[in-house]
Formats: sequence, C-alpha cells, structure tokens
Amino acid sequence: MKENVVIIGGGIAGMAAAKQLQVLGYQPIIVEQKSNLGGHVSQWYKLFPDMTPAQDVIDELAKDLKGVNVFLETRVLNWERSLLQHEYDVTLSNGVQIHTKAVLVASGFRLFKAAKKEEYGYGVYDHVITNADLERWMRGREDKRIPAKPRAIGFVHCVGSRDLKAGNSQCSKVCCTTAIKQAIEMKERYPDAEIYCFYMDLRLFGKKYEDFYINAQRDFGVHFIRGRVSEVGETIDGRLQVKAEDTLQGKPLKVQLDLLVLMSGMVCNVETQTWAKELHLNIDNDGFLKSADNVMHIVESNRPGIFYAGACTGTKTVPETLAEANAAALAIHKYLSDD
Amino acid sequence: MIDRIPSGFHPFVIPFLVGMGFVFLYLIIGFIRLLFELNHKERQRFFLSLINPKIALKNVRDIFLDCLIHVKLWKRNKLLGFMHSSIAFGWFMLIVLGHIEVLLFVPGRINIFYYPIFFNYFVAENEQTLKGSLLFFLMDFFLLIVLIGIALAMYKRVHSRLFGMRRTPWPTLMNNIGLYSLWAIFPLRLLAESFTAHISGGSFLTIPANWLFRQFLGNDLNMLPTWWVYSIALGVFMLVLPFSRYMHIPAEMLLIPMRNAGIKVRSARKGFARLEVLSCPNCGVCIDACPMTANRANVRDCTVYLTRQIRRHNERRINEISDKCLMCGKCTAVCQVGVEGPELRLMQRATRSYGIQPDYSSLTANPLGVPASNTQRGDLNANPLNANPLNVAYFAGCMTKLTPAIGRSVMSVLAKAGIEATWLDRDEGLCCGRPLYLSGRIEEAEQLAKRNEELIRQSGAKILLVSCPICYKMFREHYKLEGIEVVHYVDYFNQLIAEGRLKVDKSAVCYVYHDPCELGRGCNKYEEPRKLLGRIAGIAEAEKNRAESVCCGGSLGSLTLNHQQREAITKGALNNLYASRADAIATACPLCKTTFARYADRPVKDLAEILDAVTHS
Repeated sequence: MKENVVIIGGGIAGMAAAKQLQVLGYQPIIVEQKSNLGGHVSQWYKLFPDMTPAQDVIDELAKDLKGVNVFLETRVLNWERSLLQHEYDVTLSNGVQIHTKAVLVASGFRLFKAAKKEEYGYGVYDHVITNADLERWMRGREDKRIPAKPRAIGFVHCVGSRDLKAGNSQCSKVCCTTAIKQAIEMKERYPDAEIYCFYMDLRLFGKKYEDFYINAQRDFGVHFIRGRVSEVGETIDGRLQVKAEDTLQGKPLKVQLDLLVLMSGMVCNVETQTWAKELHLNIDNDGFLKSADNVMHIVESNRPGIFYAGACTGTKTVPETLAEANAAALAIHKYLSDD
Repeated sequence: MIDRIPSGFHPFVIPFLVGMGFVFLYLIIGFIRLLFELNHKERQRFFLSLINPKIALKNVRDIFLDCLIHVKLWKRNKLLGFMHSSIAFGWFMLIVLGHIEVLLFVPGRINIFYYPIFFNYFVAENEQTLKGSLLFFLMDFFLLIVLIGIALAMYKRVHSRLFGMRRTPWPTLMNNIGLYSLWAIFPLRLLAESFTAHISGGSFLTIPANWLFRQFLGNDLNMLPTWWVYSIALGVFMLVLPFSRYMHIPAEMLLIPMRNAGIKVRSARKGFARLEVLSCPNCGVCIDACPMTANRANVRDCTVYLTRQIRRHNERRINEISDKCLMCGKCTAVCQVGVEGPELRLMQRATRSYGIQPDYSSLTANPLGVPASNTQRGDLNANPLNANPLNVAYFAGCMTKLTPAIGRSVMSVLAKAGIEATWLDRDEGLCCGRPLYLSGRIEEAEQLAKRNEELIRQSGAKILLVSCPICYKMFREHYKLEGIEVVHYVDYFNQLIAEGRLKVDKSAVCYVYHDPCELGRGCNKYEEPRKLLGRIAGIAEAEKNRAESVCCGGSLGSLTLNHQQREAITKGALNNLYASRADAIATACPLCKTTFARYADRPVKDLAEILDAVTHS
C-alpha cells in the first residue's frame, strides 16, 4: 500500500507537490477549503513577465492529479501527533481520518484587506479596487467600479506591505511587477488613458522584470511617481482626487483619476497561525511560518514530518513556489525513505 | 489635672522640636520661594482668592475632604480610603484633642508648642478629672483608629491587590525612612502613654496596657526611654518629610487653594508645577491606570516616576518620560491629588530647542501650493463664501481625511437633515495645530491656529462643526472664534434628532462605546455620545469607561513610542472593550477608529457612520 502524505492547501504549491509525490510513489491527499483547486493563481488573468495565462498553469498542474485524493471544501479539524513516533492523525471536516507520517503545509498567504487603509478609500469611494479585483475583472467578471472609458488610472504600490502601521514590515515582492503588468494591460485596453504608478521603491529583482519596467515607460508611457499617496478624496462629479508627493521633484501633487487600483500585499494567513501554535510550529516575526532554516532548510519545519511549501513561509512568486513544491516533495521522499 | 513637671520641659522633647523647627523653616522658605516663582498676575489671583469668601469656603471644604477624609480614595477603594483617612483624620484629631486637653486642664501651658503632643508625660491625674473621662476616651479611640490604619498600611505592603492596586512604585531610601518612622510613631505613642497611664490617666487602651506592663515590669524605668523614642520617631519623620513623598501633606494643602484660585501649570518645574510635583503622594495609582503599562511595559514612565525624577533633577529621565507619554490624561483623572502629568510633560517638551524653526506665519489657504484645478463645493479659494454665507461649516481635519467614511457620513447626515453645510477643508485645509502643540511647539501651533482662525472667519459660518475631537479640543482651548459656535457632531446631531429634523431607526447591533481621550477627558463629553449611540443602536459599556477609558494607543501625544509598543497598548485597550461582549466598537474619533481597526477582531465604526446608516433621507 502506498504511504499517505497529507497536503494542506490546494493552491499551486499543493498541486505541484502532489504531482511530484505521486511520481515518487506516494499517495498524496489534498485538503482544500475552497471549491476549486488553484488558490490565488486561479483568480489571476496573466502572469508576468511573459504574460502566460494563469489558467494554463493551473490546467497543466491539474492534468497530472488523476490518482490524487482531493477533498474540496474541507478543512482540517483536528491534528494529533502519536505519542511514540512522529506520526499524525489528521481529522477532516468531512469525517475522514488519515494516519500519516508526513504532512505538507501549503496553506499560502492572504491578501491584505485594503479597507484597513481607509485613507485610500476602498469600500468608501466608488472607483477604488484592488489588484485582485482587477485580475478577476480581466478574467471576465463584471465590476461596476471600473468605468467604461477611464481617462486616468492610478496604481498605489505597497498597500499594507512594508507598512509598520498596518502591522506588516515585509515586502510583498510581487506587487511592483504586478502593478507594471496591470498598467501595461490597462494601457493596452485603454490607449488614451493616462496611467500613474505611485511607488516608494521599485523592487524589480526577477528575470526580465526590469525590461518590463522599461517597456512600461518607453512603449506604454506609464508615469512612475516616487512618493506615497497621502489621501484620496472624491470630487463633486464622482472622480477620485489623489494627493501625493513627488519626492523626486520634491513637490506636492494632485491628480484626478477615474480608477484607483490598490496593490494589496501578501500577508500571513491568520488561520494557519492558529493551528500552527497548537502544533508548536514556530512562527516568524512577520507572522508567516518559520522554516527550520531560511537558507538550507526552507521547506522543513521545526517538527519532524511537517514540511512547508510556497507562500506559507513568506511572500513568493509563482516560479519560486513551484520550485519549492518540488523541493518539498523530495524532502518528504527522503524523510520517509530514511525511516 | 496638675502639672507633674514644674518646668514644663524635659530634654526628650528636643528631637521633636528639632524636626518640627526644621520642617517649619523649610516650608516657610519654600512657600516664599514659590510665591516669587509665580508671576505678578498669578500672585494677585492667589491672594485675592484667599479673601473671596466663596473660594475660601471651597478651600476649607476641599482641604477637609481631600487631605483629611480622602473622599476620592474612598470612591476608588473602600479599604484604601479607610486606611488613609484613619491615619490622616485620626492623627489630626489626636492633635486637636491634645490642644483641647491642654486648654481645659493646664491652660497656662497652651503657648508651649510641644505640650499637646507630650501631654500625658507632663501631667498627673488628680480628683478633678473623672477616670475615663470623655477626652481620654476619645484620645484612645483615635489612637486605635490610627493604629488600625497603620496595620492596614503594613498589610498593603505585602498584598496591595486587596486595596485595588496591582502595582505600586518602587520605594526610595527617603520614602522608606519616612514610612518606617511613620509606622513607628503611633505604636510608640501607645507604649509611652501606657507607661504613664497610672500617673496621667488613660482610657480603654492605655489603662489595661499599663496594668499588663506593671504585672511583669513592676517599675517605671521604661517610661522615659519610650517617650524619648517616641519623640525621636517624630523628629526623624519631620526631618525626612521634605525629602520624601510625605511632602505631599503640606504641599497639597497649598495646592488646593492655588488651584481654586485658577492658577495653571505654566512652566516645567517652577511655581505651580513645583507644587504639583511636591504634591504627588507616590501612591502609584497612575501606574495601573496608564495605558502604556499594558504587558508590564513602560512602568517607569508613569507620572509618579516623572515627579520623582523632577525632584531628583535627573534631566535625561525627565526628558525620556516626558516624550514617551501618550498625553491621554488618564493619570490626572485617577490621581487623588490631581497632579497634571501631561501638562508637566508638555511644559518640559516646550523647553526644548530645535535646529529647524519652521515658520507657519505666512501660510496660505492652499498649503499644497497647487492651484485649484476645478471648482468644487468647499474649495476655499473657489467658493465665494463671503458672498453667500452659510450657517454651518464642517471642518474634517487631517485625521478625518484619512478616514474618509466619517467625513462622508457627516455630510450625508447633514444633507438628510436638510442642512446646507460647507465642507471647509474638503479640498485643502490646514492642520488645527494640535500635534505641534502636543509636541511642545506651542508658538508654531499658534501660528497655524491664527491662520486657521482667519480661514474659518472668512467662511462666514455661525457654527463650526467638527468630527475630530483633536481639532475640537484645539478649537475650544486655543482659538479665538468669537461669534462662532464650535460643536462636535455628537452635540449637533443629538440636537437635530431632538428637534425632529433627523428621523432615525434603531440598529440591532450592540456597540461598545470607546471614550476618545480628547473628547472624554479632554472636553468632558461622556454622556452626549452615549445619548446619541443609545438612540441609534444598542449600547454596552467597557470594563473601564468614561474618565477611566483606556487610550487607543494611536495618540499624537507620544513622541517616542514605536509601532510595536503602540500595538501592545492598542491590544490592551481592545481587551478592555471586548470585556463588554458587544458585537462592534463605536467611537467618535477618527484616530481611535483607524488605530483600533488595525487590530480589532470586530467592526470599528464612528458614531457618524452608524448614524448615517440608520437615518432616513
């Protein structure tokens, strides 16, 4: 009989790891809260830097999950460790009980709730949306907040990330590039619209990200303004008025926009924190799970038999997450074969 | 009663005389010095208040109730109140009754200063006084009261929780000497009077004690040494009094008339401020009250330590403590003496000089320097308000601009009530100046205030409506806006509802109301917001509320607290609100709202938002 491996979270990390574990001869069991696999990525439209359709990624990952047990709309209710060995009894909300030697945590991240930064007016003004809202809209979901012919669109970087006041000191890593990607996509849809990106730093660390940035400026004429938005107001005709400071010019600035997109950052999954504490898993000071070592043992936890993959240990891009999922599958394989 | 010692003197009174003489000299010099530290106006005020019968009566009443009976302590904790009033009032009665005894029995000795204190040593009982006469009984009775107080004080050292205090301040050497000599005085007095009770007479305490001691001692050899020790204990207490917390006893008796005369803290250390510092009894009630001490942090930054460090002239710590404070005013609200910790700190902050001296006197209505691009309602430059004066002008302030839902709700409620109001700073506005003021930059704050006054007057409004208690307090206390009524919306909306101009439903949600520091303790508005909330939703009370409400931690007052420290304070304040088990949190301050919203596990709403949701158009 094949050895069970429980995977918590059916996002891209969980899917990629399941596929790999199956190849290695195990029986992966994915436990997913939502009604579909794919997690956040299944909500995105295109992925940077090559504008890969996000659905293609999900489809490719889903293709190889034939023999994998997938429990959708299911949560882990209880998680007990056997006294003698490092073995776990996992009880699911659908009544299934699984005895396993290895658990892979791939519970991912949460998007920062943009309404918490009330000064940006999410939920207050009619034309303020988040990056996630925009992606969903581009995938075809209707959104009344997005006007038919916007003349000016603004992107606010670092909403809830690198923000001590919001309780998150970490950089969300992907939003700079996402903002550039979305700015280009909007410019392609509305060539006449002026697009402004309000940033405090541009962190374009990945392959081809910098080219992306140059393209946005040179080919698409996106305006990059270094300075945080101080407040957002509404004019009498329902447009948004954004006040910011252009710190490169050293001047205050005021623009009127038809749409404001808030780049909500990746923050820790609070739900993960609750059960991680019960299992005595270490939590880092940014609220994400703490790997056994941030250089050498990123997929391992402080407890034997529990492994991590993806954004549950910190903010990650899609390729990083996929690589980690594979690494975690191998680490589990090594752990179970040493046994 | 007859004199037992013809000369009326014995060397054992010398320690007491030395101590008493020293204290009197010290207090007189201190009082004169203090008078010189006041400015001419304050001195005049003080002396005039003393001859004003109304104030004089209030002085007597306040001194009796606060210094002797300790009414405020009774309100806080009965046992704590009893402990203090038994010692203070009992001791006071012992002194008064001592004088009466001298007057009645040996009137010739009334001019001898120490006679009432050591009366029992100097007299012998004869047939004229009945045994156990009323005075003797009263003397023993009050001595017993004081002794019970001392016993409670001793027990409080071990178990302060019984007295409603979780944490007490760290004792200093001088405070300890004072404390132990104070504790020694009354048991020694009992012993001394017991040893002489067969000569001078006594009552239910001293006569049985005398009988008991005679059973196994058999002679009077212990009499004199005990009187000596009693006198020494008194002398030591008097000698350390000016350098210990017991200085609060004389200082408070001067503080009360000065406060009643309307004198305010005007400097960090001098004059009235010095009196407040000396009046601090070091009880430490402010430690438990201070929001900063959540999770046992910042205990050494409470007002009790500020006054201590000011007395020690420890400049480094004085500055640290002054800068850290949230200026929420809770320590003053719970203080039995009314030491104004935030005021002292503010004056300390004001003494600092900065490298950059900003000049706001030339500010325009357009602080961004951006030309008004389009005409909008509320745009000061574009709207010819003077030509068409509106009655109500709404000033949102910077904090409300960061919580736009509040500003919107206020305007929406006004519109539903059919009131045409102008939003003064909708597009551009100046800061009210309170953050500058709280950081001690009083002059710069006044420059902003002056410019703002002009802008507000230009609008021609009769009513200046505000949603931010921070602005509200600044407008009320530091702006000269004659003819313009400054109102917080809680009052205005209450009035609109009462007049029937607003039709409201009652929401099924139960809110716990958080008193913002600047609205509650700052402007004394506790019931008005509750009245408004009670009309539109269910209302619950937090564990600590009204004057003892816990600061949200977002206060503009602190100059040095970092985000982690503030987070602990906010979570402490939230736990206080959660105790009510309400569904949501309501407040009337944009800063409290944003601060709570960061960490709260349930919705946080401003009263204006709640009202707007239930108001019919």
